[in-house]
Amino acid sequence: MGGDHAPDEVLRGAAELSIAAPHVQILLVGDGDLITERLRKLRHDPEHIAVHHASQRVEMHEKPGDALAQKPDCSVLVGARLVKQGEAAALVTAGHTGAAVLACSRHWKRIPGVRRAALAAVYPTEIRRGEKQDPFSLILDVGATIDARAEDLVAFALMGSAYAARVSRNAKPRVALLSNGSEAGKGPPEVVRAHEILQQHTGVNFNFIGNVEGVDIPRGTADVVVCSGFLGNVVLKMLEGISETVVELARYAYKQRLAWKLGLMMLSGGLKRLKEVTDWEQYGGAPILGFDRLLIKAHGRSRARAIANAVKVAAKASQGAWAQEVEEGLRQSGLPTEGEAAG
Amino acid sequence: MVELAHIFRWDLDKTYLRTDFETLRGLVRSAFEKAEQKQAVPGASALLRELRASGSHRICFISGSPRQMRKVLEQKLKLDGVQFDEFILKPNVSNLLRGRFRALREQVGYKLPALLAGRLAVNRPVPETLFGDDAEGDAFIYSLYADIVRGAVNKTMVAQVFERVGTYPDVAARTLALIDGIELSDVVRRIFIILDKRSPPARFDRYGARVVPIYNYFQAAAVLYQDRVLDAPALVRVALDMVGRASYEVSALASSFQDLVRRGRLSRASTHRLGAELDGAAALAGGDGVVSLVTALGHRVRALGSARAQPAATLAEQVDYLAALAEDPPRLLKPPGAGKKKK
Repeated sequence: MGGDHAPDEVLRGAAELSIAAPHVQILLVGDGDLITERLRKLRHDPEHIAVHHASQRVEMHEKPGDALAQKPDCSVLVGARLVKQGEAAALVTAGHTGAAVLACSRHWKRIPGVRRAALAAVYPTEIRRGEKQDPFSLILDVGATIDARAEDLVAFALMGSAYAARVSRNAKPRVALLSNGSEAGKGPPEVVRAHEILQQHTGVNFNFIGNVEGVDIPRGTADVVVCSGFLGNVVLKMLEGISETVVELARYAYKQRLAWKLGLMMLSGGLKRLKEVTDWEQYGGAPILGFDRLLIKAHGRSRARAIANAVKVAAKASQGAWAQEVEEGLRQSGLPTEGEAAG
Repeated sequence: MVELAHIFRWDLDKTYLRTDFETLRGLVRSAFEKAEQKQAVPGASALLRELRASGSHRICFISGSPRQMRKVLEQKLKLDGVQFDEFILKPNVSNLLRGRFRALREQVGYKLPALLAGRLAVNRPVPETLFGDDAEGDAFIYSLYADIVRGAVNKTMVAQVFERVGTYPDVAARTLALIDGIELSDVVRRIFIILDKRSPPARFDRYGARVVPIYNYFQAAAVLYQDRVLDAPALVRVALDMVGRASYEVSALASSFQDLVRRGRLSRASTHRLGAELDGAAALAGGDGVVSLVTALGHRVRALGSARAQPAATLAEQVDYLAALAEDPPRLLKPPGAGKKKK
């Protein structure tokens, strides 16, 4: 039970969810004494919250490998084990990302055919998608696999599609490769090769729409944008930077001229709506894909609402045999088998 | 004649019946509902049946519903197979005709004399267990009653409480006179408060260990098992009734069982005793439901590992009734200034 505002905000999120979404059973892994002491001061429903005591926790400054070795009873390791044992369907954490991935890799298996895990992120777009009119598109990988091969990109595409189909209730998400041009031959060799494979694979359950450029991400041309971890991370940080700059410019304009201030005030309703649409807390968390179980990584700054939404996303995404679906897709794509991929 | 072993006093609305009296619509619906339309709180009727069957027990209802509803309410209890010895209803029409509008909502001046009169009728140190809810002032009234009958609260304090809540002077005088006839004894063993509004359990710390906030009647049955009022098969029957009639998941019951242990309301020793008794019972009965329940309960308790239960030190040893009224006013306080007029 980690994160900048843990344990209070994590517990508040769980407590609120236990009342608002009684179909979700929450298993809190952490210091049992602390959890009880805080929970008893909150409105909650213990019929939907159980506790599994873990006496240790990984701090944000610790090295993942060392921390897991020195703390065998840390909450993230215990949580991953409980998911493996079938006690829970997914692991949600706002704590140390590296430790979470390492803990999961200790207990979970990679999906056969998947060589590397992918860290996904969501980004608000112009276009809505799926039954729930989801404003977010999925971008993966945003940092887990720096040097992605063609087969990694194909695996990311299949995993992203299977995940988005569940979370956005979008039967056939549009999947695209991020490149420097929409033409099939554009981009580095691994992107060109991945394009060839994915194009052959598109069919009943998979909707590959080709290459997209950076400009297409905020437009929402694709529901799932696939790229290497290096590129994805640069793109994500740039998009975040642009958002922050726009807010700063608006603040500057508000202070500079009365006319601008009045203009912004007139736009305040629309800006508020825009803020709601782009509010990352409404999505809660993003998945780390590649394992046979689901890990949802909530933002380290997550407060109660984001935590509750991350758990809801986990509950939705873990429905059905999505890992088997990805495995089947990879098999059909003609990519190397598990043994070959591992090499 | 068999000697009376225990008295159980129950509130009705929100404690036994699922009643909505927060809205006018709910109030009207409740007034015109037929017996078969009224819904009992899951497990309440099963628990009452077990309490009735488990010894020479007296069951009394004290309800804030008007006397005109007696027929339909008694019919509902009959439909549920609940036998009772006493059923006290509020004289709302009489209060209305006499212009005693404050008495329509005020509960201390109604329930406290009713409880004391019931006690006087027995006037032997027969133990009592009381059931109420978190919607009004049940924890306050029941605790005050318990402290009066054990001699921990004097008449001056009771008079101050009456003054504070705006009880009519004649009712206050009559109640204070009742106290004179009470044979003082620490007879109130437990006060169960069902958290219909999901109030934080810590809200009731001020009332000490005697008040046990519960989320469902399986929890009450578990504590009564600990108190040796119910045996293990009776506890199981309450659980199976909730699973069968109210579609409770066994996991939800197990989580609420764990909640009791975490809050220190059910000792580990009691869970071990229950485990040992149910192992035998499950083997004898051979029911899958019993086996899965026993497994789930044991599993949840073991998940707590070395975590300690909530220390009893957090619970008050002595109740400060005036502070309770000031800091957490239940829906029974008179409007500010109303008491001064009468003086």
